Amino acid sequence: MASAYEGARDNANRGGITMRLHRQVIWGFCIAAANLFGYAAHADETCNSPYMAGLIKGQEDFVHVWTLGVPGVGDESDKLVTIDVNPASKSYGKVINKVSVGARGEAHHMGFTDDRKYLWAGGLDDSKIYVFDVGTDPSRPKLIRMIDDLSAKTGYAGPHTFYALPGRMLIGNLSNVADKGGVTGLSLYNNKGDFITKYDNPTSAIKGVTGDGYGYDVAVNPAKNALLTSSFAGKNNYMRDLGEVVKDPEAMKHFGNTMVVWNLKTMQPEQILAVPGAPLEIRWALAEGQNWAITATALTSQLWLVSRDAQGLWQAKAVATIGDPAKIPLPVDISITADAKGLWVNTFMDGTTHYFDLTDPQHPKETYSKHTGSQVNMISQSWDGRRVYITSSLLSKWDKKGKDDEQFLRAFHWDGHELTPAFEIDFAKEKLGRPHHMKFTANPSRLASLAGQSAH
Amino acid sequence: MRRISAIAGIALAVLAGVANAAEDPGKATAPRMEFVAPRPGSYKLQRIQHVSDAKLLDSSGRLVSLSALTHGKITLLTFFYTYCVDPLGCPFAHITLAHLRDRVRGDGALVNRVRFVSVSLDPTHDTPAVIANYGQEFAIDPKFDWRFLTARGVPELLPVLDDFGQDVSVETDENGRATRTLHHMLKMFLIDAHGEVREIYTLAFLQPQVMFNDIKTLAQEAG
Repeated sequence: MASAYEGARDNANRGGITMRLHRQVIWGFCIAAANLFGYAAHADETCNSPYMAGLIKGQEDFVHVWTLGVPGVGDESDKLVTIDVNPASKSYGKVINKVSVGARGEAHHMGFTDDRKYLWAGGLDDSKIYVFDVGTDPSRPKLIRMIDDLSAKTGYAGPHTFYALPGRMLIGNLSNVADKGGVTGLSLYNNKGDFITKYDNPTSAIKGVTGDGYGYDVAVNPAKNALLTSSFAGKNNYMRDLGEVVKDPEAMKHFGNTMVVWNLKTMQPEQILAVPGAPLEIRWALAEGQNWAITATALTSQLWLVSRDAQGLWQAKAVATIGDPAKIPLPVDISITADAKGLWVNTFMDGTTHYFDLTDPQHPKETYSKHTGSQVNMISQSWDGRRVYITSSLLSKWDKKGKDDEQFLRAFHWDGHELTPAFEIDFAKEKLGRPHHMKFTANPSRLASLAGQSAH
Repeated sequence: MRRISAIAGIALAVLAGVANAAEDPGKATAPRMEFVAPRPGSYKLQRIQHVSDAKLLDSSGRLVSLSALTHGKITLLTFFYTYCVDPLGCPFAHITLAHLRDRVRGDGALVNRVRFVSVSLDPTHDTPAVIANYGQEFAIDPKFDWRFLTARGVPELLPVLDDFGQDVSVETDENGRATRTLHHMLKMFLIDAHGEVREIYTLAFLQPQVMFNDIKTLAQEAG
């Protein structure tokens, strides 16, 4: 059997590389470029960092769920749960692997490294970061590293967003160790897990708008040299019972009301945008001619569009409401379609999944909604938009109580008109914990077949 | 030697094959730059990682220490293979480097302080003679330091790739057999005169004006 390198050499020596091979080579080398079509942020296949290899545009094989450990439930530890989601598999819709980290630190979000071989997952309470190898065998992720120097190196706490930059990981944090409030910043590590530097979120005025220093999501647009960040709250709020927080007027003052536009090269904040009500997830539309980003505000229940005006300044404006803002439905995760013409929004309090038509991003229109659970938080869709996955948990102290404290992953088919249930994992019944962030991987054995599809 | 290469190649194929998921990136696009590059010296390039040493072969077949080529000058290092035909792959990287080379040659303060290093991903094909032939197209100015390197074999290349975090995989066919296609994420590494990686460019960041300003930033930093 000829080695790949020998095969490549033979082919090159013949000087007759076939068109099929030509296309395959292009396919192989276009990974980075093609990801320009990705939509920057996290939560699903359309929302990964655009500098990451290997978007899965076909059928994903596995969904990895970063799951909060619950006292008295199973091993009580935070864990990475892997679910087989390929309908052709015998274990479709089943949990096939779980990796406990041996601690309970408020598991929350995850992000792939740029080569998609490793998944970084953070704890909002203990500020630890776990690195899982999902490239060697995505059906059986392995915990290979634990990074615990974030707070010591930066003074920040609550690593939230893990955003792949070339060869490194940019982390958006939520809090700090000094007063556990929301003033925080960004931290930068190399892919080996070594700390590089930190960047404080702005707290002074820039162009007349004062920063609150709060942090949440991170999203980059390389063509604009722009990095956008959003703002949520510190540990004092997110590690406190939600019912208590909303009844405490002082606590309610401590939510983020800004977004920041950073110069990505210099990492200097250039503009602060007033976006009241805790703007959370950010999604750029990166396709050429689509120079905008969108976010949802948790407390004011609005969609906000961030775009450049004629003078070249970034502006943010509310473009739609989500549900009835007076009832505080609490929009949480959002998921943009690959063509940036549609947006899923989950509202936690009323357990509703909304679909907005983004054809005109200045005027999003809700065209569909469905009650998908007693509480719903994260939402991830496949690249083709045909499969939608939802998990239930928001934060351990914010999840509902009693019978409304459902803990699940629900998978749906989406035909453009209706969400149809595909399968469900009951995380409480299976003694797993509270399911939060999801990431997709695909079985490497399919590489060849997808290449064939790509070539023809 | 052929057998050793074949075994090494198979090892890499297996290693890479399992490391690469079902990728379907679709149509590629060239990097866009819709901003004015920040002025050289107006920003700081972070120290991302130190480059480990390794023994590689230069285009005349001599064994060289990688550390000798990542110290003393500002270095732009990239990985390639000679028979890559992707217009947005290795050829694009080398066209970008050629453009930068001309910019650097035109700057008297920089020309002797910058080198480029291109390391082959396929030592079984890209022998010193092959990379010497390939490099002729780019090394048009003997006064400009552009080295083309390969390895004695895949086992000696793998630690270098691992150190840089440069993924490479070999495509397999429907029967699990290796095809003749290599995959890697295009990356270019800007290394300061002390062997520290200070910037990494993937395709979206191959913006020549920004890269040139980064080189000048490092030159100003060194004084």
